[in-house]
Amino acid sequence: MTRWFEDITIDEAFPLGSHAFTEAEIIRFGQLYDPQYFHVDPEAARHSHFGGLVASGWHTVTVGHRYMVDALFAEEERLRGLGQEPGVSGPSPGVNKMEFRAPVRPGDTVSYTLTVTGKRPSNSIPGWGILFNTIEAANQRGELVYHAELVGFSKLRDYEMPLRLRLLMALTRLPVLGKLLAPRNG
Amino acid sequence: MNPVTANRRHYEDLAVGEVVDLGTTTVSKEMIISFATEFDPFPFHLDEEAAKASLLGGLASSGWQTAAISLKMLADSFLNTIASMGGLGFSDLKWIKPVMVGDTIGGTATITALRRSRHHPERGIVTLDFDIRNHKREPVMTMRLANLIELRDPSAPLEAAE
Repeated sequence: MTRWFEDITIDEAFPLGSHAFTEAEIIRFGQLYDPQYFHVDPEAARHSHFGGLVASGWHTVTVGHRYMVDALFAEEERLRGLGQEPGVSGPSPGVNKMEFRAPVRPGDTVSYTLTVTGKRPSNSIPGWGILFNTIEAANQRGELVYHAELVGFSKLRDYEMPLRLRLLMALTRLPVLGKLLAPRNG
Repeated sequence: MNPVTANRRHYEDLAVGEVVDLGTTTVSKEMIISFATEFDPFPFHLDEEAAKASLLGGLASSGWQTAAISLKMLADSFLNTIASMGGLGFSDLKWIKPVMVGDTIGGTATITALRRSRHHPERGIVTLDFDIRNHKREPVMTMRLANLIELRDPSAPLEAAE
């Protein structure tokens, strides 16, 4: 999926891989970022409505993100192997929606799937396109673990920067002038 | 009665408009590289030179790390003081500005809605709007989080809770 914006196909589902969650990693993530009793204490978790330890939703989501990044790198390698120059992915501006559904318990295996549902050139960043991505995660019983609607950036291959913009960018690289020309908020 | 949460605040004890002070966290280079190595190994989160050449303009935390740190601050200051039943999800998460090495982030989470769950009326849903800023008071992240919470009186009629 590190493809050029122009080569990204809409509604094609990419399997990202599967991850088996252990009790130790669930507790470790919980202690670092989401130390609620049902994420860090198996004994106390029995009193929760989950009836036992469950992974923080944020844990399953960040693991899913890791699998997506690995898939992007793998696609990059594949394209290089074919003698093609891969595209460039950029940082994400945000997440429109994230729904945590079935809890993830120690021993569960979660499979992640990415689908690009829409794309358009960015209005604010010349040379980049915006991707609308859906990630769905399901457990070994096929139950939906989460549904996410994310936004990403991808570079345009066929973009040619207007001369005026190229001049402005060159000027902003000059130490003194650059500070005056650079937009205030990045 | 859940012995873990018996003495914590329940749905009935919360009010729309309550502002939770999340405190602050300083984000070090080690934290950024450690999180990125595990969850977001793009070169612009791992390597200073690659980061300078990217849209971020310098070594910056993964947006997921900014969110996870905000969640940790919410757990410490709020979720572990209420009868939380876990998160339902979130919406409108916006990474407005990158969090750079050495930035101190913090802010508030404001209760913007309280309602009973439609499918499980014995549970409440508290909605929190995050306003995360850096030490220059610039907004870095906003999001709306929905979290389940136990009712002190699960049999209370729905109308009374509205």
